[in-house]
Amino acid sequence: MSEPITLRVYEVVGSSLCVASGDGQKVFEQIQQALKDGKKVRLSFQNVESLTSAFLNAAVGQLYGIFPHELLKESLSLQDMEQNDQVLLKRVIDTAKQYFQDPNVIDAARRAALGDEDE
Amino acid sequence: MPPRVEIGLPSIYSNYQGFITLVGLAERISALQYSPIVLDLSTTYWLDANMCAPLGAILYHASRRLNQVVFINIPAPVQKILQKNGFLSYYGHEKALDEWGTTIQYNRFERKDDRYFGAYIERHFKTKAIPKMSPALCKKFWESIFELFSNAVIHSETEMGIFTCGQYFPRRDRINFAIADLGIGIRSNLLKKRRLDLSAEEAINWAMEGRNTTKTGSIPGGLGLKLLREFIKLNQGSIQVVSDTGYWGQRVDGTLDKRLLPHSFPGTVVNIEINTADTDSYTLSSESSHDIF
Repeated sequence: MSEPITLRVYEVVGSSLCVASGDGQKVFEQIQQALKDGKKVRLSFQNVESLTSAFLNAAVGQLYGIFPHELLKESLSLQDMEQNDQVLLKRVIDTAKQYFQDPNVIDAARRAALGDEDE
Repeated sequence: MPPRVEIGLPSIYSNYQGFITLVGLAERISALQYSPIVLDLSTTYWLDANMCAPLGAILYHASRRLNQVVFINIPAPVQKILQKNGFLSYYGHEKALDEWGTTIQYNRFERKDDRYFGAYIERHFKTKAIPKMSPALCKKFWESIFELFSNAVIHSETEMGIFTCGQYFPRRDRINFAIADLGIGIRSNLLKKRRLDLSAEEAINWAMEGRNTTKTGSIPGGLGLKLLREFIKLNQGSIQVVSDTGYWGQRVDGTLDKRLLPHSFPGTVVNIEINTADTDSYTLSSESSHDIF
């Protein structure tokens, strides 16, 4: 089994304030690429001071509209994330799982992942 | 040249009556163009500084129609606070020194300005070292403000900006902070995205409940306002949301106040009051964070 690659969120965003959906999108794109290439990803939150649900929805939540949940469970792990932030991330993921139960939403997400127009 | 329009404003507090005053002003000036608008503050004995955010949004809306806004007869204490927080700088007044560091500057941001907004928050809360706020509370407060800003960026569709202002009241252990946008508003957004036709105050209530979201794209949503609401309740603070003709408030004791306003606000305002003496650790340790993915 291959070792996971470490994705440093601070490095991708370039700031300790991980609060904007647009910055979350940058993290998402890197995770998505790695998962498509069959890699496991360890997300490091070292030096991250502030997180919002908007950032985490974009960075992690939208993965649940594209990849099977079991694959995400096996492929993603965390490093240096505060307990409170872990609780926030769990809520974001639980909300995303529920959000993507709607087949119309899943279709839209997959179309977006393939580069089609989406909101 | 259209005639000069003179409007007197009473004191404006962060409450239902304060918002009635603001939407009344918005209504009064909504059809004006190229008019000199003179705001007479001779009976404005108090103006909650955070209310500069929705007031500034209304006046910016008017200035986009090339009206010229002037303030007259400003009582000295009100003038001082509005000069300290930079609000009056937009209307031809000098800026005054904030010697006690208790103001959170009035500012207008574009939707793409999230980095600049982050710097604004850091500047106010890192360098001024607002006392009595525990590190955990400070982190939650920052995150709440960022959630609000993100919410306005994602949902408002505003092309005219996002307005912010706040004030710290050391003797009352309170910080008030408001974010206003000149966007589509919650009721119209709900109608457009979810085809749900609710009254304006019920539309706000819908947005504040459960996992409700108007998001329809590839990125999920529906958590920011709920997290904010939960935090404010634990903190024994309060929130008011005004959008369209809706007024929604969560009081310090957690009870709700939902009402209609006589006129419409041209966007959405969220106003929060934080109890800075709160020593809750916000560790949420009872919630399991295992098995996250």
